[in-house]
Amino acid sequence: MEIDPDVQMEDVVESQHLGLTEEDDLSDVSHDDYRATSMIPATAGVIAELSSQSRNQLDDWITRLTDCQPLSEDDVGRLCDMAKEVLQFEQNVQPVQAPVTICGDVHGQFHDLMELFKIGGPCPDTNYLFMGDYVDRGYYSVETVSYLVAMKVRYPNRLTILRGNHESRQITQVYGFYDECLRKYGNANVWKLFTDLFDYFPITALVENQIFCLHGGLSPMIETIDNIRELDRFQEVPHDGPMCDLLWSDPDDRGGWGMSPRGAGFTFGQDISEQFNHRNNLSLISRAHQLVMEGFSWSHEKQVVTIFSAPNYCYRCGNQAAIMEVDENLSNSFLQYDPCPRPGEPSVSRRTPDYFL
Amino acid sequence: MNIPATTAFSGFTSISTPPAKSFLPPPNNEKLAIAVDDWRIYTTHNPILNSVELDKVTESIGIPMPEMIFGNNGFRLLHEPSGWEITFDALNAVDGVDKTGDRDGLLKVSCSQDWLKSRQKRELESKISGVVKPFDWTYSVAYSGNVTPSPNNTNQISFEVTEERIPIDKLKRPDPILFFDNMILYEDELSDNGSSVLDIKIRVMPERLLLLCRFFLRIDGVLFRIRDSRTYIEFKTGEVIREFQTQEATYESLRKKIPSYVEDYGVYLRDPNWVSQHIPIQSVMCEKAIIT
Ligand SMILES: [Mn+2]
Repeated sequence: MEIDPDVQMEDVVESQHLGLTEEDDLSDVSHDDYRATSMIPATAGVIAELSSQSRNQLDDWITRLTDCQPLSEDDVGRLCDMAKEVLQFEQNVQPVQAPVTICGDVHGQFHDLMELFKIGGPCPDTNYLFMGDYVDRGYYSVETVSYLVAMKVRYPNRLTILRGNHESRQITQVYGFYDECLRKYGNANVWKLFTDLFDYFPITALVENQIFCLHGGLSPMIETIDNIRELDRFQEVPHDGPMCDLLWSDPDDRGGWGMSPRGAGFTFGQDISEQFNHRNNLSLISRAHQLVMEGFSWSHEKQVVTIFSAPNYCYRCGNQAAIMEVDENLSNSFLQYDPCPRPGEPSVSRRTPDYFL
Repeated sequence: MNIPATTAFSGFTSISTPPAKSFLPPPNNEKLAIAVDDWRIYTTHNPILNSVELDKVTESIGIPMPEMIFGNNGFRLLHEPSGWEITFDALNAVDGVDKTGDRDGLLKVSCSQDWLKSRQKRELESKISGVVKPFDWTYSVAYSGNVTPSPNNTNQISFEVTEERIPIDKLKRPDPILFFDNMILYEDELSDNGSSVLDIKIRVMPERLLLLCRFFLRIDGVLFRIRDSRTYIEFKTGEVIREFQTQEATYESLRKKIPSYVEDYGVYLRDPNWVSQHIPIQSVMCEKAIIT
């Protein structure tokens, strides 16, 4: 990957031209001029600048959320409106520049997310790309997704948040986010606000045209990255079809396209990953979605990497978490970390004696 | 709904407790949790398997392992004078899963029909190799532990089917609990189509103990299944009663039992205790032996 030494310069000049703030100087501006296959429309670079009032508002929210205090229902409404303004202009295949740190599932483990930023470096000094599954299962889905969305609005060019299969109305009703919203707000309005917002999240990202990032995996109905750009993503995650596959499928040791014995869902083999990477000039598919003991795991002869960023998943698995740092030269390295124990959270398992029968 | 009310399950004719197989080197952190009367209770708590261990057991057991497999976890209940012991561990449990789908038949997730239909419509079949290696992806088991016969006892201990039941009245007494523990042997979220969990609870009182090994399955929109295996030991008499019970119901039939004013019905359906109290019992059987 050739890096144009002048790009950074151009950025700064152009950012000043657009009147962006210092923090926002990096990746917002589209680079149609040097990116051969770029599909970015001009609008992508012109996210309305935040007023100083909004910035203060966001900073207040972020401070509050950093202490794991949920926002009020009204504030969540305001935040989601602001987030839609930003996310509606993002692409189905959101372009991202290196260096960036790529993260997998978080699943409401808020304190471990704070640990992640300690390990990887604070945002916005470090650029982050999250590959979905912010909610469900952990006890702090509300705080986790509020925090990430607030950071996204505050530093739109420093943070990319993709959609996972849990960012869905149907799944969150079964796996905890819905119940958590009811418990914390007394009604389902906040759940409604966030799940409506999830329809705006980009579904994939492309780091420097080389590293293809998404939550699940490939789809037999998608041969090229351009096929993804043609999808209408602004909807609930469908039960089938290409958008469903991108958020749900898994790599497998078996070659070709496999069908899960469950009767729904695909697996893709090494030959499929190789063809896809070759056809699209990619060096790597980076995905999340599956628990791995070491926090990351290579498959398909390093054509695919799985990243999982929820340590001690569900407060009982004892697994490590990992994030992948991608530097300017697109070489990657992994940072692994253990859970951050917090009072009030269940430890290994529920061991309160009970007179079960 | 296009799913049969329940699967054609005919119950079990005996409680199976084959000798334990060894799939991995034994973990080195087994702890004597409590010694009471002639009995010794050992426990081993570890994280899920690492990727090296996982590859190894996936190959030897022959099916993909559940997402969370606590393959180095277990309980061991040893009768010290005779050396008779019963053990519970994740790998011996998961080894009992139907590895081809021929034995128990394959269940399908609720959206399967839609999913398959649209796939066919789009004529993708030529691309897809199909279900290459079917197995019971629900990880349903009837696991009652593994028994190692006494090495130093010439009369083989044999369990007899009995009409007797575990004496609930004795277990309902508020006797002090000298030791309590629970552990998950394995768990799989069925790729967000439900939940499959095998876990164990044990409580030891001064005169007896009860161990419950529960398989709990929820396939969203399809069904619930519980298979409970209880091991009861009366210390003074050396009586060991094993009970095996199966329960099953469709998802809808159980959902209807939740009061209609309840908004967060998911809380009920995720709670194995609530489910176990509200689904019909299919079969119960009991066996008994005296360990001396
Ligand atoms: Mn996922």
